[in-house]
Amino acid sequence: MSEHHKENFITKYIFSMDHKMIAKQFLLTGMFMAVVGMLMSAIFRVQLANPGETSILYNLLPSAWLNDSGGLNPDKYLALVTMHGTILVFWVLTAGLSGTFANFLIPLQIGARDMASGFLNMLSYWFFFIATVVLMSSLFVESGPASGGWTIYPPLSALPQAIPGSGAGMTLWLISITLFVVGSLLGGLNYIVTILNLRTIGMTMKRLPLTIWALLITAILGVLSFPVLLSCGLLLVFDRSFGTSFYLSDIIINGEVLHNEGGSPILFEHLFWFLGHPEVYIILLPALGIVSEVIAVNSRKPIFGYKAMVGALLLIAFLSFIVWGHHMFMTGMNPFLGSVFTFTTLLIAIPSAVKVFNYLATLWRGNIRFTPAMLFAIGTVSAFITGGLTGIILGDSALDINVHDTYFVVGHFHIVMGLSAIYGMFAGVYHWFPKMYGRMMNKNLGYIHFWGTFICAYGVFFPMHFLGLAGLPRRYYSNSAFPMFDGLSDINDLITFFALAGALVQVIFLFNFFYSIFKGTKASQNPWESNTLEWTTPVERIHGNWPGDLPVVKRWAYDYSKPGAKEDFILQTEPLKDGEIDH
Amino acid sequence: MDMVLRNIVKKQLLWISLAAISMFFASMLSAFIVEKADVVNWKEFILPNYFLFSTIIIIISSFLLFFIKPQLKKEKPIFGLVFTVLILGILFSYFQIKGWQQLTSQGIYLTGVGSNISGSFLYILTLTHLLHLVGGLVGLCISTIKSKQNLYSINNYLGLELTAIYWHFLTVLWVILFAFLKFY
Amino acid sequence: MNEKIYQMTNILIFIIVILVIAALVQIVRVSELLSEIKNQDVNEVTDNDNNTQGLLFLIIGFGFLVFVVWQMITWNHLLLPPASSVHGTQIDLLMKVSMGLIITVFFITSPLLFYFVYKYRGKKSNKAYFLSHNNKLEVVWTVIPTIALTALIIFGLKTWDNAMNVEVTESTQFIEVYAQQYNWTARYSGLDNKLGRANYKLVKGQNTLGVDMSDVNSADDKMAREVHLVVNEPVLLKFRSQDVIHSAYLPHFRVQMNCVPGITTQFGFTPNKTTDQMKESEGEDFEYVLLCNKICGASHFNMQMKFIVETQEEYDIWIASQDNLEKKLLTQK
Repeated sequence: MSEHHKENFITKYIFSMDHKMIAKQFLLTGMFMAVVGMLMSAIFRVQLANPGETSILYNLLPSAWLNDSGGLNPDKYLALVTMHGTILVFWVLTAGLSGTFANFLIPLQIGARDMASGFLNMLSYWFFFIATVVLMSSLFVESGPASGGWTIYPPLSALPQAIPGSGAGMTLWLISITLFVVGSLLGGLNYIVTILNLRTIGMTMKRLPLTIWALLITAILGVLSFPVLLSCGLLLVFDRSFGTSFYLSDIIINGEVLHNEGGSPILFEHLFWFLGHPEVYIILLPALGIVSEVIAVNSRKPIFGYKAMVGALLLIAFLSFIVWGHHMFMTGMNPFLGSVFTFTTLLIAIPSAVKVFNYLATLWRGNIRFTPAMLFAIGTVSAFITGGLTGIILGDSALDINVHDTYFVVGHFHIVMGLSAIYGMFAGVYHWFPKMYGRMMNKNLGYIHFWGTFICAYGVFFPMHFLGLAGLPRRYYSNSAFPMFDGLSDINDLITFFALAGALVQVIFLFNFFYSIFKGTKASQNPWESNTLEWTTPVERIHGNWPGDLPVVKRWAYDYSKPGAKEDFILQTEPLKDGEIDH
Repeated sequence: MDMVLRNIVKKQLLWISLAAISMFFASMLSAFIVEKADVVNWKEFILPNYFLFSTIIIIISSFLLFFIKPQLKKEKPIFGLVFTVLILGILFSYFQIKGWQQLTSQGIYLTGVGSNISGSFLYILTLTHLLHLVGGLVGLCISTIKSKQNLYSINNYLGLELTAIYWHFLTVLWVILFAFLKFY
Repeated sequence: MNEKIYQMTNILIFIIVILVIAALVQIVRVSELLSEIKNQDVNEVTDNDNNTQGLLFLIIGFGFLVFVVWQMITWNHLLLPPASSVHGTQIDLLMKVSMGLIITVFFITSPLLFYFVYKYRGKKSNKAYFLSHNNKLEVVWTVIPTIALTALIIFGLKTWDNAMNVEVTESTQFIEVYAQQYNWTARYSGLDNKLGRANYKLVKGQNTLGVDMSDVNSADDKMAREVHLVVNEPVLLKFRSQDVIHSAYLPHFRVQMNCVPGITTQFGFTPNKTTDQMKESEGEDFEYVLLCNKICGASHFNMQMKFIVETQEEYDIWIASQDNLEKKLLTQK
């Protein structure tokens, strides 16, 4: 596609149809929301350490959220927790992770000019943008934003009388998520069709970098599971605003007897978690795909067990559709159903373990180059081991009886998502920054950022397992109402300390990112000496990616340190030598 | 991107969207099945005949679309065919609305104090289907205008093909929904 | 807060942020200039870097593992005491076995990770070993987790079945636990051990649970704001909710069940340690407690009810002192 359309500021930076620009739009929006989400967590962690007292951080909040002595109102604590979860799960780890890297990498790594439909792609970002604006606006309504947890179970989320945030704030949340899902689906369509149809000559499915496999499978997961959130949300909209009884029955709230009959809140939970569980794999899989790439390049070795890794991705994706009930063990469901979900959930540990072992085998006898991206990739593996293992406790229904909805769960999902997946995102940013901006990020600041984050993040979330095993429930405004939790205040203080320290460390990353865009040292053609196609495009980036013909692929993506080769890497475009066999 | 590839790509984009839309309806149907099992709270009622009429109409309209390709091959005009499908689509919508009117006169409402979850589901399923159908009607309008201007040929009728695929999807979807509402 | 102090503080914070950013810029510029002087690329990863970072992974990685062990030792006493119920003891055993498994795997794979990245830290003169796959290995590390998990699944399902499919006998006492924003109410079934029917439409005045007084089983029911249980006697708790989803969490008994409006859920168990026994081992201040464990509104964090496990005699005295519903509701208008 050597179309010469004249680009002005608007078509180049605002309403761009170029996948690289759209990727950066997703990244910047995701980063902005990450800052917002992190600030929220800093605020509610302060509340937990000093319940009822005031804090300098509360200056960031609308004054209506505070009581007369400057302390945080309990329902607004729940609002912060809700918005933190929503923002981080959807805005940062789904749009910010998939949206950025799928858009950026797919055409570049498969050898295409752009996505199948640049127009749909542009739409996908702008739906996301408007969803962001709507969600942010809910912070400023009088009754406050949605406050029923990011999982928004009715009746709590359906009744403003039950908590103020379930009024206008919840309505805006639902509008926002609808726009978000539409944007995600538009993106997902593109990713699938582009990967299936626009691969360049020689780029067979077996020669695809693992990153692309992960992004393809993620997109399929999204297409099949996000629509269920839409139907779930639609029924909730009707219950909230139009008087239907899909989820509501037998309710007296604030003395008022409601007319709803016949509905079931458990129906909501089934529909919600049918998306909800695949969602966490939509978050995790791209991160694992990125990590596969970063570890291989920086170990100067092929990723170990390419076929097994693809198989593991497929198995995880398939199983992710039949485990959703493990979020609902304590709802009073038929115990037999609980048994089924325990079985399928523990099965998913198998392909996950296979992936970890393959990463370890890739590192074994490698020649490891510690770029900041590599540090984060290794961090991802560590966190995936730690967080994945506690999943085995939670997936076992009998054990879930005592840890469900306690801090044990909070520790688990933060370590797999808030460490593992975010580290994958950081690894991706550090690794592909030279390709995105033509400059290098500062290496030493990257090192400081990693170690600060690694230490603080484990400091925040590992202790939470003990809080959970001590019986401390999640989403509690304060832990001082029950004498049985008095002994836990030291742990809480430690967690808050690490949380605030960890939040501050991120300033180093933000500084490094923006400084390097303008003042970073200029990148060379292939700074990481990587095999994949994106490094054959000009450093200065052009519309259509390659100035002349599209590259032709001759080999798979992982010929690192191949015996008999001149260098320790071989570009995918390099023809096979006489007698050389492609993997 | 050359024409052949563009055709394949656009069709695949449509097929994947149809997969997504199917999941939307499949989840609502599962909700329907689960809620219906709770016999105590489920109020049975008779499905108005209007929905049977609309089912027949949409099946006929889909059937007619199969004649497009042979006609184009023989280089015959297709305006009449496409326009008829459009009219049938509008007729389908009319019967759906009449069906709703009949229901309300029977006392079956979507919402409110007198409503029951059985009625609510019926309205939601048929309403969301109709909303998706409106998209199909838009496509048919455009196709009608373009076929009047003889802009389609056997080698170049992608827009009409896509509209037709979408329309067939709506028909199959409706038949499944109707079967559930009538017989399950 | 004093307005002036508030404003001054904000200005101060703003200035600090600007200064930190300025400092960072200078640090980066200095390091870039230094590298220029030395004719090096400031961002090139050198063998020195690899040595440092590899070593850091060894030290901090193992430091993390030490931290984990420290937490396990230091905070072990804060965890819940052994279960005070029959099924709970089996759950505790399953927990020990599962934890044993995952801790073992954790302390094998994590050190391996940190050790590998240290041992194979890069040197320009080294070359990595090109090995792309090994199918036998894949089979080994698929089969072993499968076997371990299968064993865990079987044990887990047995424990789950034991906890959930409780056998209801003659001696099982039925008690209703009713959840609402923000308190719990218990309803005893009285001598007939049958709870009277209830309906939310009948909630009125003193009849906060909506008990249908026309049902013959209702008259001898008793409402209370704490629950007394007889040690070693099975009980079946029936849960209802008035408004939103709550969750009845009794951590010491290993009991949890959601309370969902429109549905009655249940959990049966047999307490086997009295409150007095627990006071001896856990301290005078110990009390069994019911907490709410599903986000339910502003005071979700403070929705509690006391549970007391006592001897039959102590229980008999207490229950006799509670008014039954016939007396409470029908005679007080």
